[in-house]
Parts: sequence; structure tokens; C-alpha cells
Amino acid sequence: MLFLQTLVNGLALGGLYALAAVGFSLVFGVLGIVNLTHGIFLVAGSYGALLLWEHLGIDPILSIPPVAIVLFGVGYVYQRTIIHWAVSRASLVASLVVTFGVAMIIRNLLQLWFGPDIRTITPSYSFSSVTFFDLRIDLVRLIALGMSLVVLLLLTALLRHTHFGRSIRATAQQPLAASLCGLDVERLYAKTFGLGAALAGASGAIIGIVQPFSPATEAGWTLNAFIVVVLGGIGSPAGALLGGVLLGLINTLTAQYIAPSMTNAAMFLVLVAMLLFRPHGLLGNAMGESR
Amino acid sequence: MTATPRKLFLAFIVVLLAIGAVLPGYVSPYHTRVVMGFFMFAGLASAWNILGGFSGYWSFGHAAFFGMGAFGAAKISTALGAAAGSPAAMILPVAGATLIVAVFAALIAYPILRLRGIFFAIAMLGVSQVVTELVNNVSWIGGGVGVFMPSPVPAGTRPEVFYYYIFGALLLLIILVTYAIRRSKIGYGLLAIREDEDTAKMLGVPTEHYKIASFVLSGVLVGILGAVYGYSLGYMSTGSVLRLDIGLNMIVFCIIGGIGTIWGPVLGTAIMLFITQVLLSGFLDIHLMITGGIVVLMILLMPSGVLGFFNAKRWIRFRERAR
Amino acid sequence: MQRRTILKSGGAMMLAGLTPLGAAFAQGQEIVLGGSVPMTGDSAETGLNLLRGYECAVKFINEEMGGVDVGGTRYTLRLDLFDDASDPSRGTTLIQRQVDEGVNFFLGSFPSRMVLPTASITEAAGRVMVQAGGAADDIFTQGRRRVFGLYPRASRQFISPVNLFRSLEPSVERISILYTNSPYASAQARGAEAAIREAGIELADLIELPTSVNDVTNVLSQIRASNPDVLICLTADETSILIARQMVQTDTNVPLLFQSLGPQNAAYTDALGSYAEGVTTLAAWSENVAYSGNYFGTATEFANYYRANFDRQMTYHMAAGAACVCTIAEALKTAGTVEIDPVTEALRNTDFECFYGHIRFTPEGDGDPDLMGTIVLQIQNGERVVIAPDGAKNAEPVYPVPNWRDRT
Repeated sequence: MLFLQTLVNGLALGGLYALAAVGFSLVFGVLGIVNLTHGIFLVAGSYGALLLWEHLGIDPILSIPPVAIVLFGVGYVYQRTIIHWAVSRASLVASLVVTFGVAMIIRNLLQLWFGPDIRTITPSYSFSSVTFFDLRIDLVRLIALGMSLVVLLLLTALLRHTHFGRSIRATAQQPLAASLCGLDVERLYAKTFGLGAALAGASGAIIGIVQPFSPATEAGWTLNAFIVVVLGGIGSPAGALLGGVLLGLINTLTAQYIAPSMTNAAMFLVLVAMLLFRPHGLLGNAMGESR
Repeated sequence: MTATPRKLFLAFIVVLLAIGAVLPGYVSPYHTRVVMGFFMFAGLASAWNILGGFSGYWSFGHAAFFGMGAFGAAKISTALGAAAGSPAAMILPVAGATLIVAVFAALIAYPILRLRGIFFAIAMLGVSQVVTELVNNVSWIGGGVGVFMPSPVPAGTRPEVFYYYIFGALLLLIILVTYAIRRSKIGYGLLAIREDEDTAKMLGVPTEHYKIASFVLSGVLVGILGAVYGYSLGYMSTGSVLRLDIGLNMIVFCIIGGIGTIWGPVLGTAIMLFITQVLLSGFLDIHLMITGGIVVLMILLMPSGVLGFFNAKRWIRFRERAR
Repeated sequence: MQRRTILKSGGAMMLAGLTPLGAAFAQGQEIVLGGSVPMTGDSAETGLNLLRGYECAVKFINEEMGGVDVGGTRYTLRLDLFDDASDPSRGTTLIQRQVDEGVNFFLGSFPSRMVLPTASITEAAGRVMVQAGGAADDIFTQGRRRVFGLYPRASRQFISPVNLFRSLEPSVERISILYTNSPYASAQARGAEAAIREAGIELADLIELPTSVNDVTNVLSQIRASNPDVLICLTADETSILIARQMVQTDTNVPLLFQSLGPQNAAYTDALGSYAEGVTTLAAWSENVAYSGNYFGTATEFANYYRANFDRQMTYHMAAGAACVCTIAEALKTAGTVEIDPVTEALRNTDFECFYGHIRFTPEGDGDPDLMGTIVLQIQNGERVVIAPDGAKNAEPVYPVPNWRDRT
């Protein structure tokens, strides 16, 4: 029973990790950029949901669309300016340093604005739980898991069946050929980046009701996203889901059967091991050849 | 470089050394500490540069070596039960910590150096996180509770002066090592790896050996600095030495000064420390923003660092004159 | 040779020009209190709390009491604090700067790993530090003579809660402990473990958590299985909220939930609402304690003055920070001079009552564990009331606390 409960906890946690990582994964797969600002976008989403909740009483689930739209705009402009300049003037690895620098700036701004204190969003349902036989799972986690599945399915449909999705995939696989076919690659990059930021913001709004957050929690989310991508695979919602669930299971199983204090060590150990043996994840790079 | 500028340059270095040797007698303890911090960070950046600058393998996890050096020395010093007040008591713990770092670096070097670019960078970040978590959570190591290190500073010597000379000597050593490597066959091999690893390999450069050698050397030098830093703090827990910002500062300082050059890391450290610790130390709540802003601006405006920027300018002027 | 001299003096001048040397000297009637607090970085939350406490006391002493009377001369106090960002390299360098500038009296940073390296510098320079940010035993057990801490050292802090558990009816048979692997919490856990075993209570679990936790549902499954009478959480604020929330969500009930950090703050009650009812916590201080004395009057009067002048939500850190400043002021008054040695001597013999409690240091410099030991608070009807020790309490403990489902 304890084992089953551990599995259930791991799945619920995994859904959250998957959602938190999918935007990062998309940007990595299409643009080849490791976006260290990802965690900041996520935490910004949490703060956005918090503002809407505190001032207008809007439920965090309903605040997903406005938060996502704002972050789409931020991501779009960010890619067209700073990211684009960094990649064209320096290198892809330099973009790692640039996004880190930007993360420092925004983290500082969030600290000035909201203070360094820990915040939570607590709608009325945040203390309820669901029980099947002896298995317990809290309602917010169940909602988060459901929402992340919905978002991942929507994203899959978007990538498979729309013109925009097909262009993104084409650009990721063969940027040159795509531009020869008349696609505006630069604009597509910006849109993809915006989509990545929007997904981060959406997951932030959901994470806000599940876990306490502060500006300092951003670094952890960025690292988690990287682990999820390296575990599951680059660029695809399915890869993010697989990676997220595996990470969730690793987390809860370690906590239960080794020691709760070793969960982070286990997660990073898996990261290093995966990088050494299968750096493109179990499902590989969904977006064309490896870089 | 013609003979005259080279002589001038050498004279300049000698003067700097002479100033460095007598400086603590003339300036306040605070300035001694500022310069001591500069020595340490310049040493860290130069050591990182041996791998990251020359071979192009950007490690985001060198903080792991720093922390291992510090905690290795602390464990050995505790085991030996060394008495306070004797500089000689530092020798064994620091040497032991160096050995630990060397063995660790050698063990992970081969598998991890098969990764390239961003994957290598992040794998090293992962390594440093694993080390951090283990140091923090394995109670035998004691990073969670904090460990105490007896002060090796002899009675009557001011601690900041004592560490000033140790870090100064270490920086000198690291620069000499960098110089030697840059001029050696390995140095040219590493540069070839940075430009095009596959071609270098095809042309018969023993890329694996060179990469592993520079990885281990770079890690060991960082480890030694970590061990001495641990002593200078006297008491440390995980968060004192295994800090993400230490690993990132090494990269940032190199980028600012000029990555892959001999003096770039030193210059970059001087510039950044001057700005953040001296000029802007009064700006309490925005120093994260300032550091981040400088990093972003540097990458966008001078991607090859201050030295690279001026070298390029000189090159352009030279070409214009030649026309 | 000449060139070298020029360069050298030029270099020295350049360095000297960078710092406003002398700016921080006690000019005329002013006494400077130096030191650092983390205003950014991992420990910023507590750092800002301490800072507001320091500011509050300095404001009160200067504006309401007209400064400090030192041997017939009135001095005002001035704070000169900087941000150490929880980075020891930054902290030690800038503390050295203040030492050079002639600052004699220092307030402390947070946590222990910042306090100890900075205190080593002030101690070596013969300056004085009074701090409320570090309680690690090493700060006090290495023979420092001029470092004083308001809190008893970490290993001595658990005596008063365990006394409370022993007095509860029906009697407490089993206790489980969850603790974060931080220097402070680990030392606290060891102290708690020793105190619990000494009291003859069974220790059902002793579980270590990592510094940053996302999920404790598994740990809670284990707690449900071992079913203790008291669950002690020695965790940071964020983790405490997470644990309590997941306990509600998973319906993990214990007769008494004790959390060392978190329930003191409004963020906790905001996050948990009526589920916070009955949670107990450790505090160095509460505005409900029955202490009073010079400076601010009673604990409640301190709280009122603070709220009238500062926005930041009050915690015991503000009171502890303010008490540090009052302790220095009291020592200056007793010594009747601003010379360091007599003031240090006065600090060593500190013995006065104020809103914070009866202040007295052990020979090693930490707070006297009998007088300045921790108090135990319980959230009852939304208020944080004091339920132990007997000398400070203003309400009786509620035990056992109703199940989560019945707390509305």
C-alpha cells in the first residue's frame, strides 16, 4: 500500500514537473537554446496569478489565459532582442550566460517588488483531498495533473495539426530549407520562444496553488526543467510528460526508500548519468537532428 | 610583439610584483582583504580558463572542485587534530584535499568530456549539484551542520596579511602554469580542439589526453584555492563554499576580461570586483541586477571581452595603416 | 626606482580614494553600530526582519529617549549596515572595512555561517558584536570574549518545549521529528533528541529533509504509520507551510503539531487559515509575553511602536534585533564611557529586564538558557498565545488538538 501511495504521489508530482518543463523543452528543441530565464518566467506566472487572486479574486486556474498571453508577449520581445543579439554576436553557449544574467536582473526586480518573502495562493479547494480505498491524493495536485495533461494535449495538437505547428517543426529540422520555402524563420523563433514563456507562465499559475513560492525558487525550476528534458526527450510534449513522471517517481521513491534528504542528490545524479549515456533523452530529440 | 613592448611588459609585471609584495604594509586591512579576494577570484578564473578558455569546454560546475577542496581539507584537518597557530598544519590537509580533487576529476573526466557544448556545461552543473547535495546531506561530511577549521595563522600575524600572501602566491603559480600551458604543445592542441575538435583529432592531436589533462589541472587548482579559502573562513557550511555564484563568477570574470587569453581572467576579475565590491558596495538591494546587467551588456557589446575588444581594434587599425 | 615609488604611492592613493575613510567615525555625539545583514539572497527574509528590528530600536532610542546617556554625555545611535547577500566572502571583506574605519560596536548577520566568520574578524580586532542571528555552538565554544548572542546556543534550545510535552495530559508517549539539514536545524534536532530521550519519551521517527523540499507526502505516509502524539518539524518557513498543507490534504492527524519556524509569521496563517488553529511553535519572543522594562515598556508596547512606524509584518526577529541594540545601549550607559573594554565588561555583566525578557549572558556569551530560553506559542482563535514556560505564559495549552476536518 505504501508503495502504491508512493507511486501515486510520484505521478502527481510528475505531472507538475512535466508542465513546468515543456516550454523549456520546446525552446531547447527548436532554437537550441538553454533558457536559464525559464524558472523566472514560471515564478512570474505564479506572481501574476497571485496578483489576480488578491486584487480581483480571480481563481488561479482562470488566470492561466491572461498570464500566458502576457508572458507570450514578453518572451516574443525577449527573443527578438536580447537572445537574438547574443546568439548572432557571440555563440549558443554564450546565450546560457546571457539568459542567466537576465534571470539575475528579473529576480532582483521581483525581490524589490514583492519582497523576498514566501507566498502562497490558497483558493477554497486547496485543502481538500480525494481518497480511493487507502490511497490519498490532494485535490490541487489532481487538478494540476489534469491541467498539465490538458495543456500537453493542446500543445501536441497545435504542433501536429496547425500550420504554425508544422512550420515550427520544419524550422527546427532544417532552418535553411524552411526559410527557402518562404517561412520567416526569425519570427517563428520569436513565436516559439513566446510560446515557451507562455507555457512557463501557465505552469507557474498552477504551481502557485500547489507549492509556496518566492523569487529564489526560480533556479530550482530551471534545473528541474533541464532534468526532465534530459530524461524524457527534447522538444516534444510526450518527452516532457515521460521525463516529468520519471522525475516525480525518482523523487518520491528516493524519499520513501532511501532518505528524504537524498531526493535532490538522486535527481541530479540521474541528470549526470543520463547526459553521459543518452544525452538526448529516452525519446530522443523530437525536433530534427541533434545539435 | 616586438622586443621593446615585451621588455616594457616584463618591467610592468616586475613592478606589479614588487608592489604586490609590499602592499599589505602600506594599506589598511580592508584594502588588503579586497586585494586578497581579488587574488583568489583571479586565481579561480584563471584556473577555469585553462579548461574553458583554451579548449572551449565551458564548465558550469567548477564550484564542485572548490567545495571539495574546502571540505576535504576540513575533514583531514579534523582527523589529524591539528593545533591552531601553525602554518605547517595546513600543508597535509591542503595536499590531501588536492589529491582528493585530482582523483575525483580524473575519474569523471573521461565520460564527461565526451559531451560537448551545452551538454557538457549542464553535466558539470549537475556534478556540482550532486556534490553540493552530498556534502550537505551526508552527515559524516558535515556540510549541513557546518565544520570548524583551526586557524593556521601564527600568533602576531594579521590573518588577512597571512592569506593575502598565500592567495597571492597561488595566483602567481596559476598564471605561470597558464603561461606554460599556453606556450606548450598541449596549449596549441587545446586551441585546436576549441576551433574544431573533429579536425584536430583527424590531424593526430591526442584530443582525449589533452582535454583530460587540462580538466584535471583546472579542477585541482580550483580545489587548492577552495582548501585555503576554507581555512580563511574558519567555519563553513555547504552554503559558504558550494555556491552557484562561485562557479558562475569564474565564467563571468573570464568573459569580461577576455576568454582564452592569459591576462583576460585577471583583468576581468579586477574590473568586476572593483565595480561590485568597491564602487557599488553601497547599493544594497540592486547588486544582483547590476552584476546581471554587466554580464548581459558584455556579451552583447564585447563578446570577446575587454582584451579581445582592444586586440581587435588594434588589429583593425593595423590593417588600415597597412593599406 | 623613482618610477616604482610613484607607481606605488599612486596605487595606494587610488585605493585609499575609493573609500570614504573616516565617514563612519563616531563624530561628536554619535555612536555608530556597524555590521551586515543579508538583504538579498537565500536568507533575505530573516535578514530584513533583523534589519527592521535594529532600525526600530535605534529610532526609538534616538527619538523617544533622546539618545543614550553615557557618563553625562548624550549620544545618538547611527546604524551603518550593509548587505552581505549571505556570501561570506563579501561579508568578511566589508566587515573588515568597517573595522578599519573605526567602528567599535557591531550587530550580527544571519545565519551562523555568516555570523561566525564576521565575528572572527571583529573579535580579532578587539571590537564588540552583539547578535541575534547565529546560535551554532561553535560561535560560543571557541573562547571568543567579545561576541554575545541573544539566543542560547542551539543545543540548549529544546529544554522548554520538552518540559511542556511532559506536562501534557493525556501523557505524550511518542514523538516524531522532521528536520531540515541546515546547521541550525540539525543542531536543534540533536538538542531535541537528547532532551526527549532524557525525558523518557519514545522517539518514533527522526527524519532528515533536504534544504529545499517540494513534496513531503511520502514522509507523511510514514508519519501516519508510526502515529506519534507530537510531530516536531524543525524546518524553514516555506517547508513548514508545505508540511502543514500536505498534512491537511492527506488528512494526517497528530494530537499536537509543533513547527519551529513558520507559525510565527502572518504568511503561515494566511496560507492555512483556520487549519493553523492549535499549531504550536517555538519563539524567542512573542508580543504576548509578560515581560517589560526600560526601552519600549511592555512587549505589547514594543509591538505597537513597531507597527506604528514600520510596514513589514512583525516576527520575533524584530524583537531580538531591537533587543541587541537595547543591550548595547544599556552596556554603554552602565560603563559610562564609549571605550571598548569597559563596555565589553558591562556586556559580560548584563543583567536587566526589558520587553524582550531578562537579559543575561552565559560566561561564553550566549543567552542564559534559563532566562532567555525559548517560549512556546500556540495559535488559539487566530491569536498566538504563550503556553510555556510557566513564567511567561498567558494561556493554557489546547491538547489534544482536534482533527483537521474539525477545525473550522
